[in-house]
Amino acid sequence: MKADKTIAKAWVKAQGRASRSRTSVITVVGLFSTFLGILQGWALARTLAAILLHDPDHVAPAICVFLLACALRTGLGVLQEIFASSASVAARRRLRHEILERILAEGPALLRRRHSSAIAATIVDRVEALEGYFARWLPASSLWLVSQWIVVAFVFWQNRQAGIILAICCASLPFFQAVFGIATAVASRRQFLAMTRLQTRFLDRVKGIATIVLSGGTEREAQALATSADDLRKRTMKVLRIAFIASATTDVAMVIALVLIVVTQSHDLLSATSESMTAKALFAVLMVPEAFASFRALSAAYQDRAHATASAEAMHDLAPMPAHEKNPSAHTLPTRTAKGVALSAEHVSYTWDPTRGPAIQNINFRLSAGETLILEGESGAGKSTLIEMLLGFINPESGRVLLGEADMNTLTPHQVSSCISWIGQKPVIFAGTIRENILFARPDASEEQILAAVKSAAVDGFLSTLPDGLDTRIGEGGFGLSGGQAQRIAIARAYLKNAPLLLLDEPTAHLDPATEAEILSSLHALSEGRTVILCSHSAQARQFHGRHLLLKQGQVAAFTGEAA
Amino acid sequence: MSGSFLPKHSPSSTDAPKALARILQVWKPQYGRLITGIVIAELAVCAGLTLMGQAGGRLTGAVIGVGAGYMLLRVAGASQIVLRYFERLYTHDAMFRALADLRVWFYRKLARGAAAGLGFQRSGDLLSRLVSDVQTLDNLYLRIIVPMAAAILTLPVVTFICLKAGIGVGLTVAALFVVLAFVFTFLGSKLSERFGPDILRAEADLRVASLDLAGGLREARAFGAEDVLANAVTARQEALFEAQKRQAVRMALMQGLAGLTAKAGVAAVLCALAGIVFHQTPPIIGVTALFVAITALDSVTGLSRAGLLTGQVTHAAERIVDIADRIPAVAQGTDPLPTSREIRLENVTFGWSEGRDPVLRNLSLTLRQGERAALIGPSGAGKSSIAALILKVAAPQQGRILLGGTDISHLSDDALRSQVAWLSQSSHLFDDTIRGNLLLGRTDITDADLWDALDKARIADVVRELPEGLDTWIGESGSKLSGGQGRRVALARVLLSKAPILILDEPATGLDADTERAFLQTLNEVGDGRSVLLIAHRLTGVERLDHVWCLDNGQAVSRSS
Repeated sequence: MKADKTIAKAWVKAQGRASRSRTSVITVVGLFSTFLGILQGWALARTLAAILLHDPDHVAPAICVFLLACALRTGLGVLQEIFASSASVAARRRLRHEILERILAEGPALLRRRHSSAIAATIVDRVEALEGYFARWLPASSLWLVSQWIVVAFVFWQNRQAGIILAICCASLPFFQAVFGIATAVASRRQFLAMTRLQTRFLDRVKGIATIVLSGGTEREAQALATSADDLRKRTMKVLRIAFIASATTDVAMVIALVLIVVTQSHDLLSATSESMTAKALFAVLMVPEAFASFRALSAAYQDRAHATASAEAMHDLAPMPAHEKNPSAHTLPTRTAKGVALSAEHVSYTWDPTRGPAIQNINFRLSAGETLILEGESGAGKSTLIEMLLGFINPESGRVLLGEADMNTLTPHQVSSCISWIGQKPVIFAGTIRENILFARPDASEEQILAAVKSAAVDGFLSTLPDGLDTRIGEGGFGLSGGQAQRIAIARAYLKNAPLLLLDEPTAHLDPATEAEILSSLHALSEGRTVILCSHSAQARQFHGRHLLLKQGQVAAFTGEAA
Repeated sequence: MSGSFLPKHSPSSTDAPKALARILQVWKPQYGRLITGIVIAELAVCAGLTLMGQAGGRLTGAVIGVGAGYMLLRVAGASQIVLRYFERLYTHDAMFRALADLRVWFYRKLARGAAAGLGFQRSGDLLSRLVSDVQTLDNLYLRIIVPMAAAILTLPVVTFICLKAGIGVGLTVAALFVVLAFVFTFLGSKLSERFGPDILRAEADLRVASLDLAGGLREARAFGAEDVLANAVTARQEALFEAQKRQAVRMALMQGLAGLTAKAGVAAVLCALAGIVFHQTPPIIGVTALFVAITALDSVTGLSRAGLLTGQVTHAAERIVDIADRIPAVAQGTDPLPTSREIRLENVTFGWSEGRDPVLRNLSLTLRQGERAALIGPSGAGKSSIAALILKVAAPQQGRILLGGTDISHLSDDALRSQVAWLSQSSHLFDDTIRGNLLLGRTDITDADLWDALDKARIADVVRELPEGLDTWIGESGSKLSGGQGRRVALARVLLSKAPILILDEPATGLDADTERAFLQTLNEVGDGRSVLLIAHRLTGVERLDHVWCLDNGQAVSRSS
């Protein structure tokens, strides 16, 4: 935890450095704005002094200066805001890119640890939450001290006594900042946890809402949601309360400065000795809010700073930087023969969770190009773990997997995936059209290639029943498609990809016998000229001939049969 | 994944004021708090203005009047520090309570229509609606309603004080105040009607793309298509950034315009003090008017800016109400539960949509209390439709379904569903512990019952070997279990139900042959007078059944039992 905090701090600092150039532009604009504020106050003080001491000649020019300063300052404010927004956009673009790379580098293994909605929340909300950090906090934090002390210096130059009072009041501010800042950071981290928990819970409950409703659990779930929404409110209020107190204390410090200045300057104000003395006294009074304005901007942005720390921790937690980079040029792709590619496992083991023991242990087999391996075993025997290892989602803890002659561990994920087509139990159908879902396997495929894949996978069989053919939209989870149709899309992907190794992981588990037979014969056709690994409980899968590997509690119980 | 991938946004059926009215209705239980919040805000305004009015009148010396007046302005601010603190605290708290209510209301609405599936409403989009649309609505109260109420109260006071300084200057300041608080706000909201929804839409699209990426990490790696999914996210992000930038520019310009308008008011009072353009005002009244004008005009510049948020706010309200309304309310019967548990389908004809051929035609069958029956047939024959009809997930176009002689359309959904437990093909495993998945929030079940159900579902041995046993976290959709193990946990959940009727739709999916046999044998002993309807592609021969119905061409053909 302690180490995490250090990492988070370093990360936050690095973010600040990365957007330094944009921040400094905003800071410079802010400095000009401060000078204009001083000019504005000075002009107003001159105007009032001239009016009160009945010196009409000086009034009009002073009002003109006042208005000019106001107009310029407003213009700078507009510029500052636009710059801040584009700085924030640039920073968030960079950050999201970085996070996407980390998530993709971590790959499917991440899904074993994290709910997909938590990952999506990191991509969307964690980054968007930093909007204010880049747009407001960074500029405010580099500007406030300078801006404040410039104002104090000007007041001191014009009016010694008032300058000293203002300086003392301003100097007390960092103390408040420290006290309230720390508390905000802690509360904000908890608030973010509550927020993520709420989102994860909701998405999961929405996915399974039919199950909840039909088991009569709607009311219980609604109550649970109400509880976590209320938890979110309490956490948010904790953060806000601190922020409100911080701003109230700033106000108190400012009022104290005002009262002291007016009381000490009352002599100059009362006796109205000369126009310039009065103007100086008025100037000191008018400059008090200006001196505190930059600090207010800072404390208003303090939440944004806390969000940054919380986000940093979440990102680190989700996907730590990859420890080592593989060198893709060191190894060439395994050679592909007309029959497929050879594959072997040499004493591989893997453990998901040390308390539950190894999922697979000392697995050993060798397949020549074009052979078929049928993977058998009870559910929980380690078949899925072995498949994930052969897919390169996880690396063996000991032993190695050879794809052709190359150790899979030395290949890049892209090299591995270019050799393998995978069809699982339930293919993920992305939100989009059928064409896009098939093209996913090979975005640069030509129209002929798509049509060929569609034909080979018998997707064209059900296209005619759909309103827009290949361009029919299918939703998350493949709405409107039956299990068999979704599986056909997966087969079309595999045809389009045309990889030498085919991994079939319970491809017909959810299908009825008639559909299953059709899908299996399509798969059988697809397996022509490829090395195949098939994992299936189905009796019908016996039309696949080949070697059999029986797993029992993570170990090889039998490895039999010859290639057909 | 590409440009054409952008989801179509259905034109909203509800119009904006209606949607806002609906939202306000949902907030009804919080009206007390919300109104109290406004009252506190009004009090804070009153305190400030009264103090200012008093201050001006009692000052004597002109010059000290300026200094002390300025001081008093700030002291008035200080007395407001406390009020303002409570106002912000209270209004925010009231707002968040109302938002929490809204979230729960939305979920309940969703649950009402959920049994029939979510279809095209992608869960990513739903999540976006729940989280960010609801969050957006806080602007409605905090940044629009509360400041607007304060502005309405401030206007006459400002006008009164400034009129004392002269008719011309008084009217000028009042006019500028109206422009700031109402005209700009109104124009901003008109403008934002057109572009306001862009940000929310772009954010929802980004969320869907991100969920596709996160959920599809396996596919992405297996197909080497990480770039495709990452590019989809990046493309959506750019759309969002574009919308945000446009909004930022408009906000900045509006802020600038409002700032200049406020300063024009200050200048007007200064001119009156100096006797330029306006008639010269006596210093004391003029200085009071100056401070009142500064305070009042500054307080409403934020309102002009908030006007630009109304488009977003109303669009969020529309989207929330739109989805809630799309779910039809099902009429609930009130008949008491009959004592008999016999299920009878009488001449039922049913199809999932109007245009398509019905899957069930004039079908009749009876499952008497305590009987076991199997319903077999190819997929698409309507086996699962029968289960859906019995649970009132769907209603037959013709014919009726009786539970113990009472038409189920006369029973409430809850009463009916307490009698029937259903293991559907899409039974969901939650990202929770095994215990949490079995209980689904119930508290009336002992561990012994849990183990018993797990035993019957042939999964108890696996659970016993887990170091954390029942408290093992099974991950998203049971991802930490194998497919067959997850299915058996779902089965145990159904067996745990006290419902006298069990409908098991393909309970043996993903089980190997031996486990399947063993499980079906257990099922023979479930007993306790419970009726069992087993839905399957085929039978293994170990099932003990009273009836076997083959479903073919929408008709049930009874086979030997």
